[in-house]
Amino acid sequence: MQRFFVWASILILVMLSVPISLEACPGCKELDDPINKGFNWSILFMMAMPFTVFGLIGGTVYLHYRRTNRKPADQETI
Amino acid sequence: METRNNAEIHERSPLSNARLGILVLLGAETMLFSGLIGTFLVFRVGNVTWPPPSHLGIELPRAVTGINTVLLLLSGYTMFQARRAIQKDHVTQLRNWLLITGGLGLLFLGVQGSEWVQLIRNGLTLQSGVYGGIFYVLIGCHAVHVLSAVIWLFIVFGMAMAGRFSAERYVGVDTCTIYWIFVVALWPILYVLVYLL
Repeated sequence: MQRFFVWASILILVMLSVPISLEACPGCKELDDPINKGFNWSILFMMAMPFTVFGLIGGTVYLHYRRTNRKPADQETI
Repeated sequence: METRNNAEIHERSPLSNARLGILVLLGAETMLFSGLIGTFLVFRVGNVTWPPPSHLGIELPRAVTGINTVLLLLSGYTMFQARRAIQKDHVTQLRNWLLITGGLGLLFLGVQGSEWVQLIRNGLTLQSGVYGGIFYVLIGCHAVHVLSAVIWLFIVFGMAMAGRFSAERYVGVDTCTIYWIFVVALWPILYVLVYLL
């Protein structure tokens, strides 16, 4: 087991020392290329959407919840 | 006792099931359109010349679509008025506003349909490359949504004619309004992206 970790550590060190071979995003090499810019904007846009959707639905539910809970108190003051 | 508690819970629930359901549906619709817009961005930003050189002679009808955009935005206002009318228990006004909204929606679809006929005659088809493909898929997907919203609206109109809505019971109008506003609010974004950029 200890041998496995030693070899795994050596392998990771070798991989880290050669960063070009670790390039996982082929579109990120040449950011000036228009198609890469297109992918970049597209990814950023789509990444933002789940947060926007959940934020809007969550915000709407929260606002309705607050409004519903406020109603009886308002009626009491009247 | 249990029935009373259920009624109290129902009364005090922050959002009705129907409204929550339509919000979840719109969440899914937003993700669908964001995927399509993301695809459009890849092609639009990825091409230095837009339209691509093979489509340079084809001009999208910006002015007519701009007027059409105003019509659709106006339908959003009339739909909002329909909702306000039923909140005040004005059923006749609700019917009138729904009818105007449906008419504006049909007008929007009619103008867009005539534009498409013209574009197809000019050589822009679904098979004519990336430009035609993304245009018809994105704009067509929105048109299908407008059509389904118009059908839904006329169903609501039929229910209003049958006297199914009142100031206390108008969840059908409410959900239809939310869907209509979504379809209306989405269009200016698509118009700016596809026609103006």
